[in-house]
Amino acid sequence: MDDLSIDVILFAPLAPMLGVLLFWFIQLLFIESEKYLLTKIRPKHEPLCRFTNFLGVLFQTICHALGYTVTKSGVSGFYISVNYGRVAPKKEKKGIFEWVANVFLFVGPFFIPAFLLLICLYFLMTGGFDISIPAHLTGMEHTFAGQLSIFGTSLYAFSKGFFNFLSNIDLLHPGHFGFLLLLIVLGMGIRPSHIGEKTTEKVDMIYDLRNIWRLVTLKPLYVVILFLFAYVFFYVSFFLDQGWYVALFSIFGWLSIIAIVALIIADLIILLIKTTDEITGFWKLTPYVIMLVSYVLMRILFHYFPTDFINSASLAVMMACTVLATYLILKYRTNKFKTKKKMKLFKKKNKGESDE
Amino acid sequence: MNDEELLKNEKLKKVLSPHPLSFMNYQSLCIFLIVWGVLVGWLVNFSEFRGMFSDNEWYPILVWGIVLLVIGIIASLITVRWSIFFLYLAIFLGGTGLILWQGWIKTSDVFIPFYMVAVSIIGFLLVEWYRRSHKYIISDHRIVFKGGITVKKERTLRYDKITDINAKQGVIGQIFGFGTITPISQSGFGLGSDKSFVGGGVQVGGEKKAKIFGLFGGGKEIQTPMSRTYYELHGIHPYKEVKKLVEEMVQTSVITPYQQEQVTSQKEQVDLQTQMRDLLKKQMDTNEEDQEDGSKEDS
Repeated sequence: MDDLSIDVILFAPLAPMLGVLLFWFIQLLFIESEKYLLTKIRPKHEPLCRFTNFLGVLFQTICHALGYTVTKSGVSGFYISVNYGRVAPKKEKKGIFEWVANVFLFVGPFFIPAFLLLICLYFLMTGGFDISIPAHLTGMEHTFAGQLSIFGTSLYAFSKGFFNFLSNIDLLHPGHFGFLLLLIVLGMGIRPSHIGEKTTEKVDMIYDLRNIWRLVTLKPLYVVILFLFAYVFFYVSFFLDQGWYVALFSIFGWLSIIAIVALIIADLIILLIKTTDEITGFWKLTPYVIMLVSYVLMRILFHYFPTDFINSASLAVMMACTVLATYLILKYRTNKFKTKKKMKLFKKKNKGESDE
Repeated sequence: MNDEELLKNEKLKKVLSPHPLSFMNYQSLCIFLIVWGVLVGWLVNFSEFRGMFSDNEWYPILVWGIVLLVIGIIASLITVRWSIFFLYLAIFLGGTGLILWQGWIKTSDVFIPFYMVAVSIIGFLLVEWYRRSHKYIISDHRIVFKGGITVKKERTLRYDKITDINAKQGVIGQIFGFGTITPISQSGFGLGSDKSFVGGGVQVGGEKKAKIFGLFGGGKEIQTPMSRTYYELHGIHPYKEVKKLVEEMVQTSVITPYQQEQVTSQKEQVDLQTQMRDLLKKQMDTNEEDQEDGSKEDS
């Protein structure tokens, strides 16, 4: 009866939920930074922004259609464009069905792209998909601390496997290269709202949160029902002595980690594009050429002098060379990293060159 | 367009060419060739499955050819164009022929990727050549469509002959801002048809019996805006701007019902005025004759 304390009955089911909520919030922050960077590069890279918008709208529309399918409303119309997507249900269902379809619309875009990546990772990653209960937690697995520890351990194991895979990614392996491309492309589309063509309305993190908050406050009873379902599932897992409940939330945690990593990589690429926009002429392309050439050269070098860390070393050299080249070009070809005096000299020199 | 080609009082509005990505259906065939070529090279030389290909020197060619042809069949069925399958078949036969002729069977694992990349580069160049052969000239009188690599084709369409404008923009078009505008003329130029046909045959009777063979089938045809790329404004950029321009030109060239009414009314007025003039003239002539008769009588 010790186990059936208030901790198990009331608090334990909350632990994985809070964990997922925390990761989801971090994801939201990275989405916000991506949207900020995209807004900055929009004037010069309109097609790229339209493409990312299209991806975002595509996932939103798919999620909405999925919501209508799950609620058995059916889909009678499906329209998608770069700036707008619309799904028309066959049957207009009200109440909880409509609410569930809206939950799919607002929350789905955060997890569906990551879910696609998780499927790919399952075939590419060698380990990390561990949802078993660690031996030292036996006996306390259904308490708040136990649930949180299992959730954390599962996330740690997955993150370890995932980062190990990413740091050893072989860009000459079609599967790995395809996964990286997908990670970048989907990373640009993980968001529940798009950047409008005209900045008439501010579409930011607050806008997304407001939508979700409206969904919660509009029908609080449904949220209570959702919580009840979670609690019932926890109790079923508890009485059958299985780790199903924490396993389900662990998968949501994995999805958040994948989404965060995808967003970080997409952010870095957008940042590189934004930085190279400040460079003029053919120098603009140099960082990209160096990125490609340095990796290929390292792989050729390691082909003749094999070591245990071919992939990670090649990746590290590639990244270091790209950053260094970008820094040097910015320093010597633009006004960046210069004092006022040096900026004047640079202007004078440039003027002299153009006169000649 | 040269100034000599312009008609009297004709002013040039825009000279356009298709966007480089507007022939993506052809370019995607070349992209597939590169991807599959590289994939074959990796599979045979570097992957964990490379041992499977070392048993027989024909295995890489077989795998390469089967996948190429299967993809060709699938693409042909989806697009209802058997030319894709025959193109891939020609590439496969060409490559195999070259391997046999030069005796490169042992080095096919290296040859196939390079061959595929070379073929796709040629493909890209051909597509680009085809794209560059297109030219659309929009003036204030008409639209001139020019195209064709060897046979130069040209179509001139006056705005007053345009009855309908069909416009379409795919996903890539929406991203890069290009699209296709098909003006449909009164004669139906710019319209094509989608045809579907179902057929079946029955053979009755054994080997020694008389055989009866029957064939039955049915089909349907739907008229749809469709044209050759050199008879429509294919993949033009900036799409929205050009579409607006063409629509404005058509609008200003076509007489609206109100304008038609005005013209008829003016024509009636002119007729009335002519009749009045004739009547007046006739009356004046009669008066003059009367005056002449009067003066003769006086004298």
